[in-house]
Amino acid sequence: MRKAMGGAALLTVLAIMSVVLGIGVGSVYLSPKEIAAALAGRGDEGVRALILGLRLPRVVLAFLTGAALAVGGTVMQSSLENPLASPYGLGVSAGAGLGATLVMVTGIAGGAAGMICLPVAGFAGGLGAVLLALALAKTFDARLSSITVVLTGMVISLFFSAFMDLMAAMSPEYAQRISLWQMGSFAAKGWRGAAVLGPVFCICLCLFLGRSSMLDVMTFGDEQAQVMGVDTQKSKWGCILLVAVLTGTAVAFSGIIGFVDLVAPHIARRLFGAGHRRALPGAAVLGGSFMVLCDLAARTVASPREIPVGAVTALLGAPFFLYVFFRKRRQ
Amino acid sequence: MLKVENLSCGYRGRKVVQDISFTLSEGQKLAILGPNGCGKTTLLRGLMGILPSEGGLELEGRDLRAMTVRERSRVMAMLTQMTFASFSYSVMETVLMGRYPHMGGGFFPRPNAKDRQAAEEQLKKMELWEEREKAVTELSGGQLQRVMLARTFTQSPKIILLDEPTNHLDLKFQVELVEALDQWVREPGRAAVGVFHDLDLALSFADTALLMDKGRAVYMGKADELDIAELSRVFGIDVPGYMRASRLRWEGLER
Repeated sequence: MRKAMGGAALLTVLAIMSVVLGIGVGSVYLSPKEIAAALAGRGDEGVRALILGLRLPRVVLAFLTGAALAVGGTVMQSSLENPLASPYGLGVSAGAGLGATLVMVTGIAGGAAGMICLPVAGFAGGLGAVLLALALAKTFDARLSSITVVLTGMVISLFFSAFMDLMAAMSPEYAQRISLWQMGSFAAKGWRGAAVLGPVFCICLCLFLGRSSMLDVMTFGDEQAQVMGVDTQKSKWGCILLVAVLTGTAVAFSGIIGFVDLVAPHIARRLFGAGHRRALPGAAVLGGSFMVLCDLAARTVASPREIPVGAVTALLGAPFFLYVFFRKRRQ
Repeated sequence: MLKVENLSCGYRGRKVVQDISFTLSEGQKLAILGPNGCGKTTLLRGLMGILPSEGGLELEGRDLRAMTVRERSRVMAMLTQMTFASFSYSVMETVLMGRYPHMGGGFFPRPNAKDRQAAEEQLKKMELWEEREKAVTELSGGQLQRVMLARTFTQSPKIILLDEPTNHLDLKFQVELVEALDQWVREPGRAAVGVFHDLDLALSFADTALLMDKGRAVYMGKADELDIAELSRVFGIDVPGYMRASRLRWEGLER
């Protein structure tokens, strides 16, 4: 309990710090006092416009995206009884990316229709990819072992990414946009992404939290879960469907960003224990804060140029993945 | 209590277990015996409803397959063969999961004081109280097996199915497990079915035996009336000879 309280305090500080830094640091530095005044509707009008029109929506979208990916990762790992599973690793992100790319090349992504089409295409692509990855993995290995799932997911990711490259090559007018989007970015998204992702994230998180005991039981594998009263067929596919909705919506607005869905759940479980009642909100806050800080690095490290945020998360996440993989193998 | 009539089950349409029939009364302890691959674990999975099955399968007059997964897990529990845990739940959290089928199916089901008391009782019985805060990923195979046993008892079923329950357990806990099962079954409305490799342990546990060969029952009856010739034929060794040799070795050690 003491460990969990300490972890919660640490995460609260981290979340506040990351949001303040995300809003305050940039081409124009804004002090916490100026941020607080602008959020309260006071202070300089130019600063208010900068914060409410540019920095805050970016930070909110980054936080929500990180939180959504982290929650998706936590649930995916539990429902597949595999600490190495993640929506990114299983091809959900690449599938969602392919769906969103299809919407982009049709030219409707920018309009009002894009608000509906982008997340729907992202969800459909993500779900298609994960179903394909799991069906393939099951063909080779009925027990769905970690290595088979991870390798099949990687193959599906690469396959779908290749399709995106193909589309970029065939639609030169969208090539740059698709290529940038493949590495993820929160630049110039306004409040649109947050307005769609926010409610989707809240609904999914509540549904997962409501079933946290069931998720706990599912981490012991299909057979054990059935013995303890979980209808694994329904529950597993229900979880995968919701993860596809959550990840697909996040990816549709921000592009493909990897490793957050693997890193955040692991750290959250370390800080709060494996139980989902604490691990899910923990992973959400951790993933959100991590994403805001990565986005901050992406837009400030090589300023005035901006690095894709997916590159920053990959630089930090890839070594972490190796650490988890080899630690698990040693066990 | 449990009535099994011409039960058949298997994997992907292939029948591994065929036409098994037996009845299990209150207080009865049934040992399923047979060589590797004869279908013992498959039969337990069929009984538990993990595998689809054909034939009669009734508990107190009600078809077990007509029950929901949750309803079934309230009346029947199964200790499966498990060698490692992937996530670092504490021992207490893991044992408490045994109460999941009793917690109700709505949103945010939480264990109540009664659930906690049941888990604590089993932790103490299994000598795991001191380890209750330890992560299950840090336990040895034997400790993990005891945690799973404690969780199975915490589930408070009417029938317990045990698949190699003494795996990874040292001698002390093997003997204690048999005693604990003996005690558990004495409560009204309970019965147990166990798969054992160790014939000696099986016979010290059970009052009834089901001997299987190639997916079919070749003996079903009192454990102390087991057909030794059939037992030797099924296992492909001279069972009485093996037992005699084993006894002689012990007598030698005692001298």
